[in-house]
Amino acid sequence: MTLFDRVFGGNDAVYGLTEAAIDNAIAQYGESQAVSFPETAYALPCYYAVTGVKVTNLGELKAALGVVKTLMTREKRLHDAFMSGVATALCAEFIEVLKYMNGATPYEAPCYGHISDAFVRNLGVPLVTGDIPGVAVILGTAPSADEAVELVKSYQTQGMLVTLVGGVIDQLAEKNYKTGDNVRVVPLGKDVTSVIHVVSVALRAALIFGNITPGDAGNLMKYTMERVPAFVNAFAPLDDVIVACGAGAIALGFPVITNETENIFRVPKSLIVQTDVSKWNPTSLEARDIKIKITKIDIPVSFASAFEGEIIRRGDMQVEVDGSRVDCFELVQTKEAAEVEDHKIEVVGPEIDEIPVGSKISLSYTVEVAGKAMQPDFESVMERKIHSWLNCIEGVMHTGQRDMIRIRISKADFEAGFKFRHIGEVLYAKIKSEFEAVVDKCQVRIIVDAEQNAKLRAAANEVFDKRDARLASMTDESVDTYYTCIMCQAFSPSHVCIVTPERLGLCGAVSWLDAKATKELDPAGPCQPIVKEGCTDEKLGRFETVDEAVQKYSHGALEHVTLYSLFQDPMTSCGCFECICGVEPVSMGVVITCREHAGMTPLGMSFSEMASMTGGGVQTPGFMGHGKHFIASHKFIAAEGGPGRIVWMPKMLKDQMRERLDKTALEMYGVENFTDMIADETICTEDPEQLLNYLSEVGHPVLSMEPFEM
Amino acid sequence: MKDWASLTTIEEMEAATNSLLENAQKVGADTWQQRVKNQTPHCGFGESGTCCRICSMGPCRITKKAPRGICGCDVHGIVGRNYLRFTAGGSATHSDHGREIMHTLHQTKEGGNYQIKDPEKLIRIAKEWGVETEGKDIYDLAHEMAEIGLLEYGKPFGTQRFLKRAPQHTQDLWKAAGIEPRAIDREVSTAMHMTHMGCSSLPEALIRQSLRSGLSDGWGGSMMGTEFSDVMFGTPKPVDTTANIGVMEKDNVNIVVHGHDPSLSEMIVYYANDPEMIAYAKSLGAKGITVSGVCCTSNEVAMRHGIPMAGNFLNQENVVLTGACEAIVVDVQCIFPALGPLSKCFHTKFITTSPIARMPDSEFIQFHAETAGENAKAIVKMAIENFQNRNQDLVNIPNQKQNARVGYSVEAILKVLDGVANSQVDEFGTTKPLLECVTSGVLRGAVAMVGCNNPKVRPDSAHIGLMKKMLENDIILIVSGCSAQAAAKAGLMDPVKAKEYCGDGLKRVCELAGIPPVLHMGSCVDISRMLILASELSKDSGIPISQLPVVGCAPEWMSEKAVSIGNYVVATGIETFLGVDPYTKGSEEVANLLQGEHGIKDWVEARFVVDTDIDSLCDKMIACIEAKREALGI
Repeated sequence: MTLFDRVFGGNDAVYGLTEAAIDNAIAQYGESQAVSFPETAYALPCYYAVTGVKVTNLGELKAALGVVKTLMTREKRLHDAFMSGVATALCAEFIEVLKYMNGATPYEAPCYGHISDAFVRNLGVPLVTGDIPGVAVILGTAPSADEAVELVKSYQTQGMLVTLVGGVIDQLAEKNYKTGDNVRVVPLGKDVTSVIHVVSVALRAALIFGNITPGDAGNLMKYTMERVPAFVNAFAPLDDVIVACGAGAIALGFPVITNETENIFRVPKSLIVQTDVSKWNPTSLEARDIKIKITKIDIPVSFASAFEGEIIRRGDMQVEVDGSRVDCFELVQTKEAAEVEDHKIEVVGPEIDEIPVGSKISLSYTVEVAGKAMQPDFESVMERKIHSWLNCIEGVMHTGQRDMIRIRISKADFEAGFKFRHIGEVLYAKIKSEFEAVVDKCQVRIIVDAEQNAKLRAAANEVFDKRDARLASMTDESVDTYYTCIMCQAFSPSHVCIVTPERLGLCGAVSWLDAKATKELDPAGPCQPIVKEGCTDEKLGRFETVDEAVQKYSHGALEHVTLYSLFQDPMTSCGCFECICGVEPVSMGVVITCREHAGMTPLGMSFSEMASMTGGGVQTPGFMGHGKHFIASHKFIAAEGGPGRIVWMPKMLKDQMRERLDKTALEMYGVENFTDMIADETICTEDPEQLLNYLSEVGHPVLSMEPFEM
Repeated sequence: MKDWASLTTIEEMEAATNSLLENAQKVGADTWQQRVKNQTPHCGFGESGTCCRICSMGPCRITKKAPRGICGCDVHGIVGRNYLRFTAGGSATHSDHGREIMHTLHQTKEGGNYQIKDPEKLIRIAKEWGVETEGKDIYDLAHEMAEIGLLEYGKPFGTQRFLKRAPQHTQDLWKAAGIEPRAIDREVSTAMHMTHMGCSSLPEALIRQSLRSGLSDGWGGSMMGTEFSDVMFGTPKPVDTTANIGVMEKDNVNIVVHGHDPSLSEMIVYYANDPEMIAYAKSLGAKGITVSGVCCTSNEVAMRHGIPMAGNFLNQENVVLTGACEAIVVDVQCIFPALGPLSKCFHTKFITTSPIARMPDSEFIQFHAETAGENAKAIVKMAIENFQNRNQDLVNIPNQKQNARVGYSVEAILKVLDGVANSQVDEFGTTKPLLECVTSGVLRGAVAMVGCNNPKVRPDSAHIGLMKKMLENDIILIVSGCSAQAAAKAGLMDPVKAKEYCGDGLKRVCELAGIPPVLHMGSCVDISRMLILASELSKDSGIPISQLPVVGCAPEWMSEKAVSIGNYVVATGIETFLGVDPYTKGSEEVANLLQGEHGIKDWVEARFVVDTDIDSLCDKMIACIEAKREALGI
């Protein structure tokens, strides 16, 4: 049996099963029976991505299977094997979608099955920043449960996203190994066909971030090969079906690493036989050219971005630093070089082992940095990173910021020998590695003493107040430089963000100060200064230098971008935006929704569906991705009248933005409690009439605005 | 199926040539296109190999009425003798090139005109030959190796040293067939002796000696030429360059190097880059100096320095017809005597440099290893001073140019393969990654495409047509000589675009390895590199060379050297496909020996396939590769 014979055989087998399953379903429910996956705007995402056709019911599914059959050619060429692999994957998607008929929920915890569009969009930023360096797809049953745990953990400690299919899921459960998207270990399902749910993530990434036209299979596969750092780990035995699925993976550019030695052919960088499972991690990373940024930190527990979402429950907690009840804070301060002793970690007060289990304690840490290129503006940039850094410690949970922090340290960490001092080690190591261009020396002082902290907290608040005053005074007019951000170009090659003091990057992760610091840290990097010159239209926010930058950094894909308009050359989106706004034509307002909100909007579209209207670096007048904090800015769609146009937002987003948005509205329109005038899902979901009634009822300012010039 | 739009087509190349022929008309120059017409039809006896003029009793021509020559030799003996002499001519030529290189090696010295640029390779070969290297000055070692190498040409006993590089199975076949080559010159002499009046007329014996004489070239003279050129001038590694007539620069002094021996062209390239020379060129109104090449000397300097390739064999007159060629500097082999009279129609200096290739209407500047620097400098200077003599009305450089990545020596190929190996599972420095691509079916096989141009075939059409077909079928190409230049001129070596012409398998290999799908392995002497690669594949896989899905092809060959090459490639176990008949169709017996199921195939497990219909030749090659796969069960 040649390799191609195995692929063809596996493909034929899966095709047969799919055909029978569809025919059965039609016999039972009829051709008009709807089929869909939940929480996606891309129908059957794989089939849609490959063919450009959205399948919505069983009749169309049957027709689609006919199209799949045309891919199953049998020349002895890799093209035929690749296409048969793709055909196998599409069949798997068809089998999986049948499980979801009539609103069924075929997957139960810990398995995820189909993955939502929001999840895919959330992956954008961490993938481009290398925070998630790659995606491992582990398939089958490991030789032992211990080896399964070791393999998963090895990827997890590197921050990789791990997806699981088949017996390995039970093996992890047997060892009580924590899984879930918060720890980046996502069990998909136990049938081999459930592997399609991660393929679906990769293909939607191409549509969302890469602006690949659905149906452009050639560029689709080029995108996944060049830009999606995924690979497959498949445990022996490999039957023909798995070999056929493997051909599909390899077609997309994802190498397969296996310990199968029987009846298998090796292909460099594509199909690699590694009999020693303990070496799968380095073998896979090398095969997919994934480089792991190594930050070796001297602490007794793991440190990896995969632990960022880990939750420490009360019962598992050794001590808690609780800023809501006692005096706590975190602070970064610039000092003179002579005042800082590099790598000095000081703990004032009792260490963790001198404190009774379950205590709520007062704790503060002050990071003092010195460096020739250091600027006080960077203090807050560094400080905002502390949240993520401390969360990356296995068994430590951090929430909040400034003097409202809460930190839980788990019993497991305590038993492993974790000390307060280690918090200092992490802060030191991360500051020195991530900000090496500006920080020459760094020391950390941790104070575990309520009395001292009470005084110090007051002093820290003075610092915070001063910073806030500076930030508040910083407007688009008060600076002479804006910045580009093209961090996402690894993923979305023609998108350029223009970051100004009032308009942060659409991902919400890059403020003007961040961009400024990034330029300092990496002079040739993604954030390049744009000298603010040649303003040709103040209202739209049109600048000659901005246009030049956009042309240059989009490699000619874009000509003009305005900063403040939704209709005139609006800023493009990569795909990882926090929020999206879209025109609501009945009220002449705009609807905003955010990634976290899965429900409908009065536009009759969910976040996913609205998001699919734009992204990939294209301009779609009337739709625009943006960061949350832009909403409360005076500049938010200022060309069309400003935030007073907002007629609907999810309740959660309203609550987050209320304080600042109310202030802005008061200043701009003289309206009190503006946020309450904005409708949300508790008021109306899909009916624009209902929305209009509400707006009239509360006297929303949009009603007195001119219609849009569309 | 594929978008070939960014290729330069045969039609476009012909249009460029036609525009140059208008120049020829203006100055009343003679060109090969006209001479082909004058010579057509060709002599039927010559074409079928049935004319014998070895002694002065003849010439004897075999017809139905006159089936034997005066001495009584039948048609099979006559065709066989002609074929052996054809081979011996090529073998002598290639091998003498190798000998020149060994003499140059003997002249190397620290700080001299010729130096050792790859001492590691010298030491590696010395160890292979059992020469002590420890504590030896590299130049002492070079001189010692040169003497040993030169003895390979005339040693009284034993066989060629490099035969040991072949897989044991191949060596056993050679021994059993009695074709292990002895001293190189001896095999040529034996061939001449056997074909003298009154010696061999037994076809089987004549063909056996053809194989042996060929092997003395491929595994002897040529291999020494390649290996020690690498030692002196550096082992090629991937380098980007350009190809086709548009590489000549209108505003620059154009020096074209042509021929085969890199000893000359290396020096010309060196002095053309000399700031003093560039300044001199500028002082006389040029913007700079452009060296480009034609034929295999071009391949040599392209492989090592990225010097652009102006064209292949049948383009040699075109470079002069541009009216922008200040000097065409030649060494040996494949140089049209027509260049002399042609250059007289323009301002071009036609400079011959070797006592081996003396021609009328040329300026002869004999190149000596001791004075090579001065000689080269004088030539460059002469070209610069000639710039002002251009007739601007005649300047026409067709705007045709393609990017090419070249420089794939065996060492470079192994390095590329290391790049796709996985350090956790694979060993480095082997051909295994390539074998895995082949056994898995990602690549169906490989074709070694070589050889010249020949007016009997529309120039380059067979090379390019076959290559396109192979690429679509996931068959990787290793190429050399004028075939390589055809590929480069068309754009098939473009490191970015060419992969788009391939099937998914070859395309993926190109993407992962960062290579073009057509790998330039060098000049015609460098076909010895292909022998080494085939041997490594066989040793790494444990599969005899003849069973690997690898074939050789020379679709537009014309020279005696090509016949010698054909013999050693086929004798190494590689089925060889020819698009031009080697003057053997007059004898069924000889044709059967060379092409039949039970001729040389019984001795060396491979044979020739001759088909002048290129489409049919193509189908046969692919079928041969697939049949070999089938036999291996892959």
